[in-house]
This record gives sequence, C-alpha cells and structure tokens, in this order.
Amino acid sequence: MLKILISEIMMKDLKRFIFSLCAVPSVSGFESRSTEALRSLIGDELEFVSVDGVGNHLFCKRSGKQNAPKILIDTHFDEIGLLVTEVLDGGFLRVCQMGGIDPSIMQASDVVIYGKQTLRGVVVSTPPHLKKDSDLPKIEEMLIDTGLSTDKARELIEIGTPVGFAPVYTELLNGRICGKSFDDKACAACAAFAIVNTPKEALAGDVYLLLSSVEETNRLGGAAAGAFSVMPDYAMVIDVNLARVPDTKDFETVEMDKGISISVSASTHLELTRLTEKLCVDREIEHSMIAAPTSTGTNAASVNLTACGIPTVDVGLPLASMHTYTEVVSMRDCETLVKLVGEFISSEEIAEKMNFSEVSFI
Amino acid sequence: MNDMKNSLSLIERLCGAFGPSGCEGEVASLIKNEIFDVCPDAKFDRMGNLIAVMRFGDVTASERKRIMISAHMDEVGFMITEIKSGGYLGFDTVGGISASVLAGRRVKVLTQNGLINGVIASKAIHHKDKKERQKAVDIDKLYIDIGACDKEEAEALVRIGDFATFDSEFYTFGEDLVKGKALDDRMGCAAMIEAMRRLKDSPPKKNIDACFCFTVREEIGLSGAKAAAYELSPDVALVLETTAIADIADAAASRRVADMGGGVAISFMDRSTVYSRELVDAAIDIAKRKGVKAQVKRYVSGGNDAGTIHKTAEGIKTLAASVPTRYLHSAACVANINDYFAQRDLCVSIIEEII
Repeated sequence: MLKILISEIMMKDLKRFIFSLCAVPSVSGFESRSTEALRSLIGDELEFVSVDGVGNHLFCKRSGKQNAPKILIDTHFDEIGLLVTEVLDGGFLRVCQMGGIDPSIMQASDVVIYGKQTLRGVVVSTPPHLKKDSDLPKIEEMLIDTGLSTDKARELIEIGTPVGFAPVYTELLNGRICGKSFDDKACAACAAFAIVNTPKEALAGDVYLLLSSVEETNRLGGAAAGAFSVMPDYAMVIDVNLARVPDTKDFETVEMDKGISISVSASTHLELTRLTEKLCVDREIEHSMIAAPTSTGTNAASVNLTACGIPTVDVGLPLASMHTYTEVVSMRDCETLVKLVGEFISSEEIAEKMNFSEVSFI
Repeated sequence: MNDMKNSLSLIERLCGAFGPSGCEGEVASLIKNEIFDVCPDAKFDRMGNLIAVMRFGDVTASERKRIMISAHMDEVGFMITEIKSGGYLGFDTVGGISASVLAGRRVKVLTQNGLINGVIASKAIHHKDKKERQKAVDIDKLYIDIGACDKEEAEALVRIGDFATFDSEFYTFGEDLVKGKALDDRMGCAAMIEAMRRLKDSPPKKNIDACFCFTVREEIGLSGAKAAAYELSPDVALVLETTAIADIADAAASRRVADMGGGVAISFMDRSTVYSRELVDAAIDIAKRKGVKAQVKRYVSGGNDAGTIHKTAEGIKTLAASVPTRYLHSAACVANINDYFAQRDLCVSIIEEII
C-alpha cells in the first residue's frame, strides 16, 4: 500500500520526483543494485518489464491497441562515481573514477560509500604544508577518508565497492535546482513523469522507457542492448546538454530556461528529427536546434545503429556544471521536456511516418 | 550518551550558523542565547566580541586572578566583489581558502533579503583543455551561480560586499568523527559554552574571574581578540582552537602534526607564537593528573589568536589547546568528537588549576 502511495504522490510533483530518482544510487556499472528502489518509485505506475544482464531497466506502458508501434524513450540511469581500488592504513581508500569527473571539485567533498553498509566519507584535501604546487592530484591519487580504523574499513569495504556523491538537493532562483546526477536521471524522471501522466488512450503506440546502463563508462552504453531487446519502430534518446555559462562558446552550448534542444546530426535520423522539430512548433514547445555534426555524445548513435537500424531523435536538457555533484537544471526546462515527451508518444503523425513495417528485402 | 548527543547538537547548531569574518552576528546571538542561563549579562565590546565573565570565590577579595579563555566565532567565507553579465557573482575569499576546495561547493549568500542558495561553478570539464583539467580553477575563473536570469535580476538582490559561506551538511561518520563547515572554531565556542555550564554547576573555590571571549575576525589575522585581551588584561590566556593536521595515508609521519583521536593538542610553538613553556608544562601536567587525553603538537605550523593576545599591552602568558582537524578551511572539516571532549575537559581543569 505504501509503495503505491509513494509513486502516486511522486507522479503529481515533478520536482520531488526528480530529487527522489536522482538520489537513488546508480554508479555506472552498479545500476541493478537499485532495481527495488526504482520499482518502488515508478513500478506501480508503469509495467516493469525487466532488468537485463548489463543493468538496463525497462518499463512499459501499453496503448491497448492492436499492432501498435513500439516507441522507445531512452535515458541513461547510471551516474558518474568512483570505485574503490585499495583500502589503506588508517581507513583511507584509493579510488578510480567511473565516468569523467572534474577533478577540481573533488577535494573536501562529501561521498557515500556503498560497502557492506552504506557509509559516509570525505575526499581528502591535501593540507597546505604538503602541497608542492597548484597542480591537482589525479583522481587515482586522491584518497577517501572513511573515518574508520584500518581493520574496520577492510571489514566493511571491499575492493570494487562503488562510491557516489552525497545526494543533497537545493533550490536556486527561478526554479533552478542543484544537486548530483541530473545527468541523466532528471531526464529519466521527466520521461517517466510524462509517460505516466499521458492517458493510455492518447498513446500512438506502446511506450517503452529504457533506463539504460553504463553510458558514462562505455562508449556505446548499455542502450544498445536495451534497444535490441525492445526492437522499437522509433526512438527518442534524451540526455543532458551543456548549458551556456561564462567562458564557453555559444555554438557549443544551449541557453538555460529556453526549453529543450534537438540535435541535427549525421548520427541520428534526419526525418524523425525534423518531425520532432515540427511537433515542437505545432504544439508551441520551447526548443532550439543544435548542430552535432557527427556525434551527439549520447546514446543516440548506438540506439540508431541497433539491429537493422532504429530511427532515433536526440533531445537535450540544458544543464550547467555537468559531471559535478552540483549540477544545475531549470524546472521550467524540465516541464518543457515533460510536455515534449507527452506529445511525442501521442503523435499519430510521427507513428505513421515512422512506419517501416512494409520494408523488406527477402 | 546524552552528553554526546547534546554536545553534537550544540556543535551542529553552531557550525550551521552564518559567520564569515566581519559578519559574525548570527553566531554571536546564537551563543548569547546558549549562555544566557549561565551568564545573562554577557556583553559585546566595541569590536563585536561577545564577553562573558564568570566570577568565582570571594568577589570582594583584593587578590583576584583573571584568566581569559577565547575561541573565535568567525569562519572562512566569501565576499561578493562583482555582479557579472548573465547574473553570475564574482567573489573573493575572506580568510585563507585554497582554490582546490572551491569549485562545485554549495554556498549561502547573505543578501539584504536574507540568505539565498548558490553554487560555486566554472565551465564544465567538457569545455576544459588538458592543461585546465590538471589545475584547480583560479578564483577569478570561478563564479557563484544563484540561478539569476540576468545581471539586472542579480543586482536587484545582491550587493557588492555581501558575504557568503560554505553550505555544508553536518554529519557524523566513521568511528566518532564529525564533518562540517566551520568546525574551526565553533568547536572551540562549544567547548567554552559547555565549560561555562560545568563551572556554573560546580564553581571553583578560588578567587578567579574566568572571562570567556567569543571573538571576531580571527581568520583574517586582524584579530578581535587583541581588543578583548587589552580590555580584560588577564594574568593568563587560553585559546581554544582547531589545528590543521595531516594524519592521512600518503603523508610522512614527520609531517602529520598531530593525531586524530590522540587528544587535545597543546602547542609549544606555531607560526605566530612561542608559547609560555611554564603554561605548556602546567597544561600537560594537569591533563595527566585529570586523565584528559592530550598530545603535543609536533610540527610548527598554523597560527591563531594567541599570536595577537600574547603581545597585547605588557604581554600575556598564553596557551593554545586545539582539536586536531583534517581539511581545515574547507566545507568538510573533519574532527574526532573525543578530542573535542578532551579540549572541553582540559579547559575546565585549566581554569580550576592553572592560576
């Protein structure tokens, strides 16, 4: 009963749902440890299909129509983090990184160690009298302070234990929110929220929500395997996009609070991209088009190249301070994303034009 | 256990208060409240130091001794120096904070309308070249993002000269460790508050004035403690502080300064003071006799209010007793609660016995 209550409440409050989903630990490669947490957040609202061998979680909402097309929405569930490589004397840990963390944010930051118990820790900051120069240590040279004795640390923390950033969320002005792993779980939350809140009668097809694994640590991501098991008619890949901040170039970034971005790229499906753009225009969804000539830096290309090819569009949510524990997104942009996903999965026009079922060569 | 809980909650409340050097008001009023039962007539001096005097023994006696106990209320923080285009805030540090612990941190900015959330940021790693990725981001490349849409919105809310501090979760972890911002020197403030309560419950029989000074501006070196020391002109001064230690894996034993969990650290010398050997020996002796865990700081580093206090007026014999603390001057200072208890207990015993 309580579980139903949680997801019911969540699906009425987007911000709370984003915070809750982003707080679920999912260091790249360790996604399937959080299956239960995920199911309790969304499993009562969407049909839980599977968690596969590479850690992809798949949820579904069926339209109830016969021969309905399959629509895939992919967001990656994994987050950047660390992995314990050595437990040292004094209860300090040596770690390596899981995904591209900015080393400049590491020292004296709060971490959570997912060992035999969930433990708090702090990244060691080199004391001034031991510093040689202004160079930052590499993450592999940094230490984590567990506050435990050597023996206790060795008992509770094994080599290979994942370590994540502390799930703390704050609100800035103008509905901007700040915390860890909005990349890409803010998008996952928006997608789930949109699918749950779209009545099944309105769906243009059966909608599959893929919360894919290892995007941060593997060039192709778990999405390739996830997309293969669904074999959808067409797909939308949603990931965060670098927001415009001081000292960045306009063409490499998107403006925050101005809606979502749609990538035009040789690595995705041009017709579906333009149809999605048209959908935004028709439905007055705030968006900007960005050029990502050969790569979007997301799962889009690997989903696109799955099996005999899946028409794929790449959509971005503007995010500042990417790959830190204080990423910033705008709730207004999140609401725009919810609207886009809702319209996308309801679009009969897209479903019709993306129908390649007659295409056959043998 | 209750004792532990009360102390932790006191330290947490003190650390949570907003008080960069020069802007200690919130900390001061919190402390004034905490000590009201024990010392209702505590007063602020011209500098903003909060001074509470407890008089013991025969108050009419002609021969009375005076001890000054001090801990500073201020913490390292930031000041807004510029409202940049896009509504981002440029800032400088108030007190010594290494650039390597700035990027990514949550902060609170005290505006004319109260505290607002912000975050210290720079461009994402994806936009940094190889060289930029190997260095801590210089402070002039960092900015505070408060979520403002543009410069006008930020200017309407934030003034040049507004203060900010780290915004950091206080928690216990590991074996008896605490983590938070401003442990330097709110632990010292907490130790004084708890020492005052204990002295109130069992007052010393000697004719002494114990002058508890919660001081301002230690972190910028222009110490408010100097004014308090001049005003009070004590026979002896005791500074309750934190001291930066390096008892971490990878650090040579010779450079670890002191051991976490090794007890309160008594300094014989640091970069601002050669301490009175007579007082150092007496403190070590008292700790031994009272069963308070203490250690001698093994490295000449750091400095504190003792530096100004001991040179005030004709000179004041001064002692420093510190809680060994890792990652000082960051959002995540780490200390062992047992070392705090040792500092507090030694403080009480020193007041009772040293003069």
